[in-house]
Amino acid sequence: MLSGVFRRVFGAAALIASAAFVAPAAVDARTLDEILASGEFRVGVNPTLPPRALFNDKNEIDGFEPEIAGLIAEMMGVKLVLVQVGSPDRIPFVAAGKVDAVMGAMSRKVDRAKVIDFTVPLHSENYGIVAKPDSPITSLEDLNNENITLIQVRGTTAIPFIEQKLPKAKLILLDNYADRDRALTQGRGDASFDGIDSMPFRLAAFANTKWKIIPVPEWGITYSSLGVAKGNDTLKDWLNLAIYELHTSGAIEAAWEKWFLSPMASKVPVSPYF
Amino acid sequence: MNYTLQFGQVTPYLWYLAGGAWIALQLAVVAFIIGWAIGLVCASITEYGPKPARIAVRSYVVFVLNTPLLVQIFFIYFALPDYGILLDSYDAVLIGLALNAGAYMSEIQRAGFRSIRREEIEAAETLGFTRVQSIRYVVVPHILKVLYPPLSNQFIIITMSTSIAAIFGVEELTGRAYNINSITFRSLEVFSISAVYYIVLTIVASTILYTVGRYFFRIKGSVF
Repeated sequence: MLSGVFRRVFGAAALIASAAFVAPAAVDARTLDEILASGEFRVGVNPTLPPRALFNDKNEIDGFEPEIAGLIAEMMGVKLVLVQVGSPDRIPFVAAGKVDAVMGAMSRKVDRAKVIDFTVPLHSENYGIVAKPDSPITSLEDLNNENITLIQVRGTTAIPFIEQKLPKAKLILLDNYADRDRALTQGRGDASFDGIDSMPFRLAAFANTKWKIIPVPEWGITYSSLGVAKGNDTLKDWLNLAIYELHTSGAIEAAWEKWFLSPMASKVPVSPYF
Repeated sequence: MNYTLQFGQVTPYLWYLAGGAWIALQLAVVAFIIGWAIGLVCASITEYGPKPARIAVRSYVVFVLNTPLLVQIFFIYFALPDYGILLDSYDAVLIGLALNAGAYMSEIQRAGFRSIRREEIEAAETLGFTRVQSIRYVVVPHILKVLYPPLSNQFIIITMSTSIAAIFGVEELTGRAYNINSITFRSLEVFSISAVYYIVLTIVASTILYTVGRYFFRIKGSVF
């Protein structure tokens, strides 16, 4: 009797496993012509990353990236459709063609570039340590300590660096920056090493908590771009030209200062060659 | 621009994912045991306890049954620290899963208590059974036979629910799948493999539960 049961069990397992391994091909990304023909430009933004994107008091997605995406759609002559994405799923969204381009603080990284393509830079990203004001932490070296717990967000740029260069630190990976900030405030960890550009905006939201922000310029600056599906050159080439014009007209810097409450810490070098 | 499946980029992480599956299984087993004990106490109080205790237990059960598990764990993880109770990620999720399971298993076990017919007890007394013998040979086997299938289903549900732990920083199977996804960006491959791990976990658990049920409680059923 049992042999019959096991035959059925293993038969079903084999069927399910084969179904998973023969997954259907993802939807194709749309070319520039297809976007223009449809009259809609679908852009992924992450509203858990204020002020890059956020929900405003009308519960609509707003912020720096939606504003830039709106300018790009206007130049394209189509309607902008914003799609909410998260840090872990933003790249799969564009790779699978669910959005035409993705923003959500898309730092250009070589690993990411194996899966998607990047436009020219939209803005710089500057990194640092966020800690409580009474914390003895003053540098990255201080974080590589088994008594230090870092609270980070899954899928973000600093994680591989922390795992390789700060192996002694304990790591708690949460789902978004709001949870990260709340967990830090509640004392679940000692610090976070991540982008600090948005901190003036975030500090305003957490008025009761005083933070110590330690810039770490030696870690390097990363540049964020729009991500497009691998090989979608028609769209990428057009976006490069649009972003160049938005830089030279001062529109990107103006939107940055409006939302981030201070000028971009490191300017993006703009070149007519790309 | 067709998407090309590349499982080779994910296969180096198979043992890492297996470690996550082990943590998920640990969470499920411990939450199930604690939840079963909570459920047994609550079911006993509901059926045989004094009125104030019954009201308290019913309030707990109604609250848990009518709110999402995710909200319950959010409350434990993010709201309790405001009252001075700071639990780490694993403990907060474990307590949330156990309290949630406890409410469901309270209802399951209450149904088990109610399934005992007075005639069964009277028949045992007629045959000269003492009270302890009646419980040992009539009541308990009857309740176990009635409770075993729904409790087995509850264990499978708890195993699936452990995936919520990823949101709270527990590096179980889903959390580790997210981590690999953020390195390789091979979502189809990563989550297909993690789905297979979950399927294997539940098939193994179902097979064990089926075998135990079949040979210890003479319950007829099937894994699928």
